[in-house]
Amino acid sequence: MVRVTGNFQSESPLHPKAFEVLHAAFDSGWADPDKLSQSSAKARQLKNNAIESIASALAVGFDSIVPVSPTSLGYFLGIQGLLMDSLTLIHGATDRKDVFAIAGKNHHQVLSCALDGKLIPAKIASHQSVLALQIGNAETGVIQECDAIIESSQSERIFLDATTSGIRVPVSNQFSTALFDSKSWYGPSELGILVIENTTQWNNPLPHLNAAHSNFQVSLPLLLASAVALENFSSEVVSANTEARRFNEELRSAFTQLSDVDIAGSLDSSLAHMLSISFLNCNGEELLRGIQNDGYSVDSGSACTADDLQPSHVLAAMGVLTHGNIRITIHPGTTQNEIDGLIKSVISNVNKSRA
Amino acid sequence: MIEIDARGLRCPQPIIELGKEISHMHAGDKLILLSDDPATEPDLVAWSRMTGNVFEKKSTNSFIITKLSER
Repeated sequence: MVRVTGNFQSESPLHPKAFEVLHAAFDSGWADPDKLSQSSAKARQLKNNAIESIASALAVGFDSIVPVSPTSLGYFLGIQGLLMDSLTLIHGATDRKDVFAIAGKNHHQVLSCALDGKLIPAKIASHQSVLALQIGNAETGVIQECDAIIESSQSERIFLDATTSGIRVPVSNQFSTALFDSKSWYGPSELGILVIENTTQWNNPLPHLNAAHSNFQVSLPLLLASAVALENFSSEVVSANTEARRFNEELRSAFTQLSDVDIAGSLDSSLAHMLSISFLNCNGEELLRGIQNDGYSVDSGSACTADDLQPSHVLAAMGVLTHGNIRITIHPGTTQNEIDGLIKSVISNVNKSRA
Repeated sequence: MIEIDARGLRCPQPIIELGKEISHMHAGDKLILLSDDPATEPDLVAWSRMTGNVFEKKSTNSFIITKLSER
């Protein structure tokens, strides 16, 4: 079996400190924080401490934090909770499929994007709208100019998707709801942090008895681990971004030595740890397997690697080549040797695929 | 007009077949590409930008390609 030594896929490793907390929590067990026993009181205190720590790191109020699991549920809660019958949902062509799924059930308008991945702001006829805006794209890492788009749309209600960008870029303070993903700060996956900043604009869209109260819980150990991961990554994020940017520059510089390459988005306007690149006349699946055989794992947006054989809607919306695509995510702890090895592997496999 | 029937072929094969055929053509020449692969149309947009050639969608699975550059 080939041992994968370099992980350049979007799945992020758990922060070592979060790993410790997760183990300790599962070892010692935990009570229901909503009950009255002594152990429940302790669990409640731990939960409140975790939420307080998350709120502090995200610079939002304690009461605005609503942990959700899985993360995809947060899209429904964050967007549908702002939508009323008469409102139109405005969203970007490069948004996640979760947003498209919600849009399909509502009046909606899609903002197109330019070749650089930036959404093109459009004048909206009515203020009666909800704007769903992705801060950093999940496939390309392209960062949107949120304030300009918000101003242009004049929407009263804003949902910000910070699931990919996390704390790597500042979050606009103009929002009604925002969704973060615990794994963006190397916490456990499938744990979302929904921030409901404006409670007067939000109604729980799930069946409920109290519209203002969330009627769902998340696993306490996952929440504790996420809070610890966020606390630690907060102090590491600047150096993580600096190191990722240096490696990203090296990758871009090496790959553009090859002919007919198409990079999605510039480094200056993208998340430093992400790179999406397509090679003309290459088969994405062959590339992926060849690179894997060399000991490196990457993702792909090519149709031949997708379950439904559809090309990436993000690359298609940008007008970037959808075949021969690989996506590289640079996690903290990546070494120079791994970057050098990945460069060598990609170039060799591209040449092999084109031969 | 030359016709490339790439129906049934999956990405990136239709674009590879197009690249092979167009390399033998002269500036101003046209060909028809038939392809039912969902990636072909978005890839033709990128391919045109990268190679300097142009395409026009004739019908759902049919594209007219005009060679404008040396590639």
